[in-house]
Order: sequence, then C-alpha cells, then structure tokens
Amino acid sequence: MQAVGVNYTRPDVYGKISGKAVYPDDIEFEGMLYAGVKRSTIAYGKVLSINIDEIKQLPGVEYVIDYTMIPGAISHGVIFKDIPILVKDIVKRIGDCLILIVTNDKESLKNALKQVKVEYEEYEGVFTVDDALKEDAPIIGDGSNILYDIKIKAGNIDEGFKEALHITENLYCSQMTEHAFLQPEAAVACYDDDGTLKVYVATQYPHYDREEVARCLNVSEDKVKIINTTIGGAFGAREDINPQCHAAIATYISKKPVKVLYTREESIISHSKRHPMKMHYKTGVTKDGKLCALKARIYGDTGAYASWGMNVLRKAAVHATGPYVIPNVDIQALAVYTNNPYSGAMRGFGATQVPLASESQMDILAEKLNMHPLKFRYINSFEVGSNTATGQKLVSSVGIKKCIEKIAEIAEIKL
Amino acid sequence: MIEVTLKINGKMYTRKINPMLRLIDFIRDEIKLKGTKEGCGEGECGACTVIMNGKTVNSCLVLAASANGAEITTIEGLSNGDHLHPIQEAFIEVGAVQCGYCIPGMILSTKALLDENLDATEAQIKEGISGNLCRCTGYTKIVEGVKIAQKKIINSQEGD
Repeated sequence: MQAVGVNYTRPDVYGKISGKAVYPDDIEFEGMLYAGVKRSTIAYGKVLSINIDEIKQLPGVEYVIDYTMIPGAISHGVIFKDIPILVKDIVKRIGDCLILIVTNDKESLKNALKQVKVEYEEYEGVFTVDDALKEDAPIIGDGSNILYDIKIKAGNIDEGFKEALHITENLYCSQMTEHAFLQPEAAVACYDDDGTLKVYVATQYPHYDREEVARCLNVSEDKVKIINTTIGGAFGAREDINPQCHAAIATYISKKPVKVLYTREESIISHSKRHPMKMHYKTGVTKDGKLCALKARIYGDTGAYASWGMNVLRKAAVHATGPYVIPNVDIQALAVYTNNPYSGAMRGFGATQVPLASESQMDILAEKLNMHPLKFRYINSFEVGSNTATGQKLVSSVGIKKCIEKIAEIAEIKL
Repeated sequence: MIEVTLKINGKMYTRKINPMLRLIDFIRDEIKLKGTKEGCGEGECGACTVIMNGKTVNSCLVLAASANGAEITTIEGLSNGDHLHPIQEAFIEVGAVQCGYCIPGMILSTKALLDENLDATEAQIKEGISGNLCRCTGYTKIVEGVKIAQKKIINSQEGD
C-alpha cells in the first residue's frame, strides 16, 4: 500500500510529451506496401459480385485479396469466431470487410478503394431488439437472435411486491456509444529474418491477437509475434481484432512489410460499440423505506456479431439492483442480435447502463416516500453481511455506507 | 510538382511536392517528424496542431504549398535537447498525460496561448485548448497543467 497517496511519474510520459512515443502509424519500413479493406455499405444481404478484375488493373495495385486467399480461418472473435475477416457471401452489418486491396502507395490505395463496385442482393434487416425478437424476424445470429439469456431470481417476487407500499414501473433506454479513442486503428506487419511474422499494433490483447493471426494464416503461434506499440486510447474497442489479420494476410501473401491505417470514419464504422439497452424496471418499497422487490427485464442490442455480448449482459444482470439490498428479485437479461454495429466491451462493460434504471427508480421511490434520496439510499445500501441478488454474502470492503455518511456530513443532510 | 521551402523547428527544408500535399503529410512523410498526430483528418480533433507563424493551425487542413515560406513549430521543436519546456514539465508533474495522442497538439495550443497571454484566466485557458480533443483525461488535469506551466514560466522570467 506504499503507492497509495503518492505521486509517481508514469514511465512512458517522456516519450508522450516529446512526440517520440511510437504509435503504429509512426512505423515505416523500406519497400512497405499499404493495404485497406472495402467495407459493405448495406446492413444485410448477399454479395453477388465485386469488380476484382478491374481493381487489379488500377495503377499501384499489387494484390486484391478475397476470402478464398486467406490461408487459414476466415473469421475471428473473442469468444465465438463469427466476425468475417473477409466476407464469404453474407454481410450482416454496414462495415463488414469484403476485399483487401494492397498497393504500393497511400494514394493508389485510396483511389482503388473508391473504384470498388459491389453488387448485392439486399435483405430486409432488423434494427431494433423488438423487431429481432418477433417470431417471423430474420435470423441474424447462429440459429437464433438470442445470443444470451440469463435469469437471476431470489426470494419470492410476488410476496415481495405484496409487502410494498409504493411500486414504480418504468422503461429506460440507453444509447449506443462510440469509444472515439483519439488514435485511429493502424497496424504494420512484416517478416523477421527467422520467418516469424510480426504485427505492430496498438492492442488490449496481444495474446488473443497472436492466436487470431496464427489461425487465419494457418501457422503455429510461435511463428507470429504481436508487438504492442504505444496505445492511443482503447476503452474496450481494441479488444476485438481490427486491422491485425488484414495486415498479416497482406504480408503473408506479398512477403513485404504492409501498413493498414484507418481513417476516423472507418474507425467509427468498424469497431464495437457500447450496448444500447432497454431496461424495464418494476421496483417496490415498504412503508419503512426498505426495498422489497425488483422485477427487471434488460435487453441489450448486441448487433451483428457476438463479441463480448454475453459477458456484458451478464454484468448488467448482476448489477441490476445497484448497490442495494433487495430480498426478492426476478431479473432477466438478454443479448439480442440485430443488423446494427456489433456491441462489445466499453468502459464498465454492462455495469454502466443499468444505473440509469436502478438509480432513477431510487429517486422516484424516495419522492413517493417523501424521504431524502440520500437517506433512502443509505438505509438500503449494502454493508458487510448483506446478500446480493446473486446470493453472494459480502464479507469485506463494502464502503458505500461510509461514503454516504461523508457526503451527508459535507452536504449537511440528515441521514 | 512544385518546390516549397518551410522552416520547421528552426531548420530549412526544401522539397518538390504534389501541390495537394497536406502540411501534416509534409511534416510526417517528407521530413519524418512523427510527433505530429492525425486523429480525424478534418480539423475536428486538433491532434495535428502545429504552430505556423505564431498561430496554431490544424496541419491536416493546411496545404504544404500554402505554408511555403512559413515558420513551423512542431512538438519536436519544443524541448531544447534533453531540457524540457516548462509546459512539458507541468504536464508531467500534474499527470495530464494518459494515452498521449492528443498531447503534442495540446502542448502546442498551450504554447501559442501562453506566448500571447501568459496571464490567461481559467476561462481563457479552456478556450485556448478548446480545439484539442482528449478522450482520456476529462481535461481537468490538463487545465491544471497549463496553470502550473504559467507559474513556471513567470518564475523563470523573474529569475532572469
């Protein structure tokens, strides 16, 4: 605990304040090629044709790579391998990767990407959780639009509501959020003298990246090295693979160093988002101001691919009560596939959305009780010995009551 | 192709360039100074900020050709060898740096501001760095860093 309360200088700060810190786009090699992907502009449909032969003839174009040229696995994913590295035929969101173009300079790449013409057979997609759960909805996921469904039950929900003096029932909706880290994705791949393929990338999971790159190249993991550069922000969106496999495949095929660099627009289109959630909350409180029952139904729009969807919705369910004792609960959380951008990790990972509902309910109930909202939170908050909705008995490190006491003291509120 | 000469961090650079080349590409690709960062390419984020003839510009929105003859300061021109600029020292001291991608631009906006108005108020500081987005810090520590830099510069001037 010697570090607590002491100021330390972060070791990487000197590079960062002097402009010497190396982010992936700062890396160059002699004879380096540039690669980029053409992404789908429709959310759901079948690719009928792409003018690959024409693109190959454009100035500066060295290779045009489609899914058939990937030596190994053609998809990736942190849990389920469902995100296409290059699409075989079906696109499920705007931004799915169609073909990889490799050129000998930046301008040729920009030009070639503009010249790609894709013919689609467009399907009617689903863009809300409600539509995706309808019986006749097109199936976006693997056999079902429900990626994940978790239930947490404790006590007796009907009896719990019978004890209530006040009940409030409301629907809360949170929005999709973009990480917008400041450094757009970039990666540089090249071969080492000993035949190891190196990928320089700003990533949250170099060990996952190595596995994914090795899988798509069909080589053993010891033939791949991921070198984490300085990371220009991440916030969860650098957990899934972004440019890593594309740079690696382009180097594998060309045998030359290759850089992939996203524009801001591509960065926003391509990577994961924070799950938008619909949260139906029904909460009851006794005449003494004690929470007695919570029924919650939480629907997360997980978009076109799984990513961390189940983990995020699990966390939303586990945190659904907020830091309060509620003896009778009936919570259900679902991750639902749609044709929206895929949702995944973002700071808080599911625990961030539910407080919109749980804390709003607290304010509404405090008002009904004519009790100060801080006092209402105080008398219901967890303490050592409390049971959470998942049945965990808290045995240590429960600081919320002490924290509220301090707030009350400073704000001169009587608890 | 046209020939341009730019003075960058005190050194003259003459190059034959495509007239459409952006100033940021001239700095990063021609001169190979990689401290200037591109965050959006459309003048929204300020990561590519450099000082041109005493004023900050988004180097992604300026053509290198239109900067012909100009004097440019990039982040590499700020410290004198290993001797850090007071703004850099202040940012380190207060913990204003997280991922670091906005920092070169942020520091140059701070320099341009304090060169013009060393006594800038908090509101003026916030306005001065309003063209530079930071997604990590929430700006509090950066504003504190600018205030510490003001004191450091004033103290060093009194010492002269």
